[in-house]
Amino acid sequence: MSQTEHKIIQKAAAGDRSAFRELVLEHSHAMFRLAWRLTSDESAAEDIVQEAFIKAWRKIDGFRMESSFKSWLHRITVNTAMDYLRKHSRRKQFETEEPEWDPGLQSAEMPVHDTQIDIQKQTEAAMMDLSEVERSALLLKHFEGHSINEIAQMLEITTGACKQAIFRAVKKMRVALRPLVTT
Amino acid sequence: MKHITDDDLTLLFYGEHEDPKLAATVADSSELSARFDILSAELRLADNFVPPHRGDSYGAEVWQKISPQLGGDAGKSKSIIKGWLSAISQPRFSLAGAFSFVLVAALAFTLGRNGGQSPNGDPGQIIDMPTVALQGLNTQRLLSHSVSSHLEQVNVVLTQFANSSESSANEAGDATDMLVANRLYRQAATRRGNKQLAEFLADLEPLLIEMAYEAQSASAATRERMQQEIRNGLLFRIRVMNKQLKKTEISV
Repeated sequence: MSQTEHKIIQKAAAGDRSAFRELVLEHSHAMFRLAWRLTSDESAAEDIVQEAFIKAWRKIDGFRMESSFKSWLHRITVNTAMDYLRKHSRRKQFETEEPEWDPGLQSAEMPVHDTQIDIQKQTEAAMMDLSEVERSALLLKHFEGHSINEIAQMLEITTGACKQAIFRAVKKMRVALRPLVTT
Repeated sequence: MKHITDDDLTLLFYGEHEDPKLAATVADSSELSARFDILSAELRLADNFVPPHRGDSYGAEVWQKISPQLGGDAGKSKSIIKGWLSAISQPRFSLAGAFSFVLVAALAFTLGRNGGQSPNGDPGQIIDMPTVALQGLNTQRLLSHSVSSHLEQVNVVLTQFANSSESSANEAGDATDMLVANRLYRQAATRRGNKQLAEFLADLEPLLIEMAYEAQSASAATRERMQQEIRNGLLFRIRVMNKQLKKTEISV
């Protein structure tokens, strides 16, 4: 964390709204990207970003300066997205126990096309076919570069469960995306 | 030898495997290398999960929506309206780089061994070495040389990024490659106890992550902030570190 950001966070934690606005301007895009990747829904992602920032404003005096502010915001964003998905009945399977999964069936359902738009669509479909915890863990690892320990804390699961979620997500993604590599 | 699972290779890909020898083991086996190449190519396809673009004014729009709900005075948000960047989300998928990654992984492992292998090193240390590691290798010098070459590439990629007004798919691809190599060299430096180098490489990672996964859909303001971060000292720090490494190469 830079000295400048450190000072801005301190001011925001003391109730300085203009300082908090600086944080909103700085982090909105990144939070939107994370929220969209969690939901694959633009409108939902925008709602989640707004709600997450409101939560952050209410909790910012409890933020520990020695930790990463970005990680802290990510944690709030992930939790808000999870709540959103639950409320909107788009939740799949959050529990550690996974339902029977048939990789052959899933890959057969994925038509192979050459265009890059199809690749994007298939990647999105594969990503959204993951359970919430799998998708969250994979996104936070793959796109955000958080450590497994950090992700486990964000998702409030054990490190072992976090690893297993990533492993399951990777297995499913590989089966879904394999046809695109071989074409 | 313990069976290497795809889960092991996944952890290696993300720089999280606890066994520092795994990279070299993978590099030393054509079967494992092939499996790792395929896994890398398949996982890199996930990069196509690109969010829709949000314009420069997005942050201000968020602020306008939330500020009435925060309590207190009305926000002082001012409109930040600039032109929209054209959303470039060119997907990329290629096996290119996977092979070089394996080489980097093997090299990073070799260089990161505690104590390295001095020219008159303990022969006992060589017994566990994969064949990719050369006997009599001056690993300190090779580490300096390898990281120096890596930093030169990073310097080129960052300079191009800092001077380009629009993002490109190549930019993200280059940054991804730099990121993977950077993680491996950081681990190597850590294992060698070179704290200064490890910390320096760790400092590079957040920006490389942003370039790899966020720059394509980032706003102009975010891109400008990243470019400023590069111009305001980062390139200078890379050059200084590179100079130090080159001195090490000569002196060792």
